Amino acid sequence: MIRRLVVYVLLSIGVVVAVVPFLVTILASLKTSVELVQGVLSLPEEPQWENYRRAWVDGNFARFFVNSLLVVFGVLIPSIVFSCMAGYAFARYRFAAKSTIFIYLLLGLVVPLQALVIPLFYLMREIGLLDSLWALILPQIAMSMSFGTLLMREAFSGVPREIVEAAVLDGAGSWRVLWEVMFPLARPFVGTLALMFFIWTWNEFLLPLVVNIDPAYQTLPVGLLYFQQRWTADIPVIAAGATIIFIPLTLIFLIFQRQMIEGLTQGAIKG
Amino acid sequence: MEGPVDQATRTDSISDFTAIQPAASRRSLLTRLEPYLYLLPAVLIFTAFMALPVIGTIAISLTDWDGVALSSADFVGFDNYVDAFTTAAFWNALKNNVVLIPFFVLLPALLGLVPAVLVHQMRLRGARFFQAGLFLPYIMPGVLIGVVWRWILNPVFGPVNASLKAVGFNPPSWLGDFTWALPTVGLIGAWAVYGFCYVLFVAGIQKIPKELYEAARLDGAGLWEEVKVVTLPGLRREMSVVLSVNLILALRAFDVIKATTDGGPGTETEVLALYMINTAFNANRVGYGTAIAVLLAILTLVLSLLVLRLFRENDD
Repeated sequence: MIRRLVVYVLLSIGVVVAVVPFLVTILASLKTSVELVQGVLSLPEEPQWENYRRAWVDGNFARFFVNSLLVVFGVLIPSIVFSCMAGYAFARYRFAAKSTIFIYLLLGLVVPLQALVIPLFYLMREIGLLDSLWALILPQIAMSMSFGTLLMREAFSGVPREIVEAAVLDGAGSWRVLWEVMFPLARPFVGTLALMFFIWTWNEFLLPLVVNIDPAYQTLPVGLLYFQQRWTADIPVIAAGATIIFIPLTLIFLIFQRQMIEGLTQGAIKG
Repeated sequence: MEGPVDQATRTDSISDFTAIQPAASRRSLLTRLEPYLYLLPAVLIFTAFMALPVIGTIAISLTDWDGVALSSADFVGFDNYVDAFTTAAFWNALKNNVVLIPFFVLLPALLGLVPAVLVHQMRLRGARFFQAGLFLPYIMPGVLIGVVWRWILNPVFGPVNASLKAVGFNPPSWLGDFTWALPTVGLIGAWAVYGFCYVLFVAGIQKIPKELYEAARLDGAGLWEEVKVVTLPGLRREMSVVLSVNLILALRAFDVIKATTDGGPGTETEVLALYMINTAFNANRVGYGTAIAVLLAILTLVLSLLVLRLFRENDD
C-alpha cells in the first residue's frame, strides 16, 4: 500500500513539474513588475489585464495570431486533400512507378528542415515570395506530404474491398469513390492527420525565422521571440505573450487529448 | 506503430481498384494515367519545396557564395567541408550537440521508463489520468518553452533563484553562466520530453501479452525478474523510437536554444543548427553554412539508423 502511495506521489510530482512552469507564467502575466518579485505564488492585488493589452496591441500579437491562423488553414486544407489523393493512388492502384514514387515521397520523413531551409530562402527570393505568408505555407505543405501520404495510404488500405466494389457497380467514378465512399470511412485518420498538421505548422519556428524578415508576416513563435528581445526586463508582458500562445494550445490539447497523444506518439518517427 | 521502412518494403496485398472496374479490359489512356494524376499535386509541391531545396543545399555546399547573385557563386569542390573540419567553432558546435545527447535522450527515457514500469507492476489505476499533464510540454512550441524557462531561471526576477537564495544558497545565473548554461539547456530539453517517453512506454507495456507475465510467474520469477525478462524486452520497439526520436531532437536542437541563450554565453551553447544559420545569414558564408547543413543531415541519418539497427538486430 505504502509502495503504491510512493508511486502515486512520484507521478504527481512528475505532473507538477511538467505543468507548474506554465501556471506560474500565467500568474506572472497578471502581476505588476513589483508584485513579481514579492513571491512566485503570491496573487496579484488586482489582475493586470493591461499586460495583455500591451502584448496584443503594442507587441503586435494580434497580427501574429491572425498570421498563424491564416498559415494553419492555408497548410491544413491543401495538405489533407493532397495527402488523401496520394494515399488513394497508393492504396487502390497498381502502376509502373508505384514503389519508386512511394519511396521518393517517404524520403521526406528523414530529411530535417535544417537541410533545406537555406536554399528555401533563396528560392523564395527568386520567385518573389520572401516576406509573405506563402513563404510559410508552400514549404509546410511540402513537408506534410510524406507523413500524410503514409497515413492516408494506411487508412484507405483498410477500407473493405466490397464497399468499393459496391460503389463502383453503382456507377461511381474513382473521384467519387475517394471523396464520397473512402473519405468518410477514413475520418478518424483524417482527424489525426489534421491535428498533427496543425501542431507542426502552429509550432514551426525555424522556417518563418529564416524566410520572413518583415514582422508583419510573422507567426506566433517568432513573434514571441521578438517580444522577449524587446521587453527584456518587463517579464509580466512577456508572460502575457507566452500565455496567449499557451492557452489556445492547451484547450485544443484537452479537447482532442486522446487523438493527439496517439497521433504524436505514432507520428514520432517523423521527428 | 510501424516505421516508414517497414511500410515501404511491406508486400503489396492491397486490392487493385482498376481491376474491378467494369471496363477493365479496355482500359483507356486516361484510366492508366489516373493514379499519376492523383499523385500529381503531392509530388509537384514536394519536389518544388522539399526535394529541389535539398539538392540546392548539396549544390551550394560545393561553392563559395555570399548569397547575393547566383552568378557570384564559385565552385570550390569540398573546400567548405575541409574548412568545417579544421574550424574550432564547428567542433565546438558539434561537441555541444553531443553534450546535449545524454540530457535529451537518456535522462527523459529513464524518467519515463521507471514510472511506466512501476505503474504496471503495481497494477495502479489512473495511469491515463497522469498522461495529459505529463504530455503537455511536448505539444508546446520550443520558443514558448524557452521563454517560460528563461524567466523562471532569471537571476533577478525568477522564482528558482529567489527560492534558492531564501534557503541560503548562492545560485549561478544558470543560462548566463559559462559552466551551467549547456547543462541547463539540456535539462530544459529533458523536461520537455519525459512525459512523451512515459506515455509511449505505458502504451507499449499494455501491448505486451499477459500470458508472458503469467508464464514468468509460473517459473517463479519475482517482480524484478518479470521486468527484466518480460517488460524490458517487450518494450524494445518503443525504446528504439524514444531513443531515435530524442537523438534527432538533440542533433537538431534549435528553438529552445535560440529562445534561451541564443548560443551564449560566448559560444557555450552554440549548437550545429544555430552555427549553420549564423554562418549562412549573419556572416554571409552561404556555401559554408549549407555544408554544415549537409553534415548535420548526414549525422542525424546515420545515428538514427544506427539506433534502429541496434534494436532490430536483437529481434529474432
